[in-house]
Amino acid sequence: MLDQQSRLQSSSIPLTEAEVDRRKRIVDLSGEDISRIVTLRNMVAEQTDRYVDAFFRYLDDLGEAPALFGKREVLEEAKRRKREHLAAMTAAQYDRGYVEQRIALALLYSRHGVSTPVFLGAFHQLLRALGNDIMKSVKDPNDAFQRFMSLKKVAFFDIGIMTDVLISERERTINLQQDAIRELSTPVLQVREGLLILPIIGMIDSQRAKQLTDGLLRSIRANRARMVVMDITGVAAVDSKVANHLIQTIAAARLMGSTVIVTGLSADVAQALVALGVDLGKISTTGDLQGGLEEAERMLGYRVVRGNETTGPRLSA
Amino acid sequence: MAIPILKQGAVLIASLQAAPTDRDLIQLKDELADKIGHFRSRIVAIDVSALDVMDSFATRTLRGIAHATKLRGANTVIVGIQPDVAFAMVQLGLTLDGIETALDLDEGLARMRPQPDGGTSGDR
Repeated sequence: MLDQQSRLQSSSIPLTEAEVDRRKRIVDLSGEDISRIVTLRNMVAEQTDRYVDAFFRYLDDLGEAPALFGKREVLEEAKRRKREHLAAMTAAQYDRGYVEQRIALALLYSRHGVSTPVFLGAFHQLLRALGNDIMKSVKDPNDAFQRFMSLKKVAFFDIGIMTDVLISERERTINLQQDAIRELSTPVLQVREGLLILPIIGMIDSQRAKQLTDGLLRSIRANRARMVVMDITGVAAVDSKVANHLIQTIAAARLMGSTVIVTGLSADVAQALVALGVDLGKISTTGDLQGGLEEAERMLGYRVVRGNETTGPRLSA
Repeated sequence: MAIPILKQGAVLIASLQAAPTDRDLIQLKDELADKIGHFRSRIVAIDVSALDVMDSFATRTLRGIAHATKLRGANTVIVGIQPDVAFAMVQLGLTLDGIETALDLDEGLARMRPQPDGGTSGDR
């Protein structure tokens, strides 16, 4: 429940009276409409189960939202909320509580793979069923049409909220995935005392560059690093912006008292940088990661000595 | 508030406290230039670890101190720039080129002290 509450808060729709009023104004929902909708209350109340069944049967037949039908309790909850919806729709109390119910239902759809077009298709079926019944029960076609149009305003009010939530949920998922990719791809590793490796893989954009610099600077302080080997073998393309980001990272590391060696510049990247006219004069580079590590170790005063030159590497001490 | 300068052997240590005024910095510059001659110091270490902001004036003054110190026969090392400060400085283009920097006072002094092979470990 608490999770539900926080999700409601975090959705893109601010749950304020002003926002609810704004949305009502957008669909032009007037007092006249509300009095027309109230007259439909009994008809909808009698037929609620049929409408709900029609809505979900249509969804099921489409086969576009299997996750919703996979679990009995999920489907039951969705149906219960839909019944609630139909009752609330004709109760004509379009307030914060109503909007909250709509958002909760949209979140349920979003969690179980009901996409925006699928939802719209099913909603249209529901409206059609409602419209047919209104035409049947009201004698004067003009009057019936007016009542249906009033109901349609509420339907569009609902659709506005539902699609906003569905879209913002999708964006949220994408953002989460991007965050995960960012987190994954910028480890800072210590290989020796005072020596860090920073392998960079994939695209570097401004945000990632900032995060990368941030992570590196914190690691430099935490590990008391004096040398950093930055390996960009995994960076496919370097443009002036990326080069600038790297130069800034190197300058920031230097301010913290650490020297950076850049390794793994491919032939293409090197040519591109020269063509761009990026000033890499102040940056020390070596061809590959091995060369960079050897250079860094030398600068830190390490000497790597093989145990026994004549017999090759010793496997036991 | 004036910035205290401590003497330890051939080393002068200035420790900047939070948010020094421009006047404090200028005073530090003058005092350091004076004291280097007086104590025949070889190394000046300026600790900025307490600062959470380094503006362009502070950076320029530190650069000035480093250059003046060099002319007076001593080497300057700036120690303890915090990660956030470093990042902000780089964004502003304040990179302190040509001036020694180190993680903290310990590291800075280790780097500046003469090595057995003649040079300082700062000569890389």
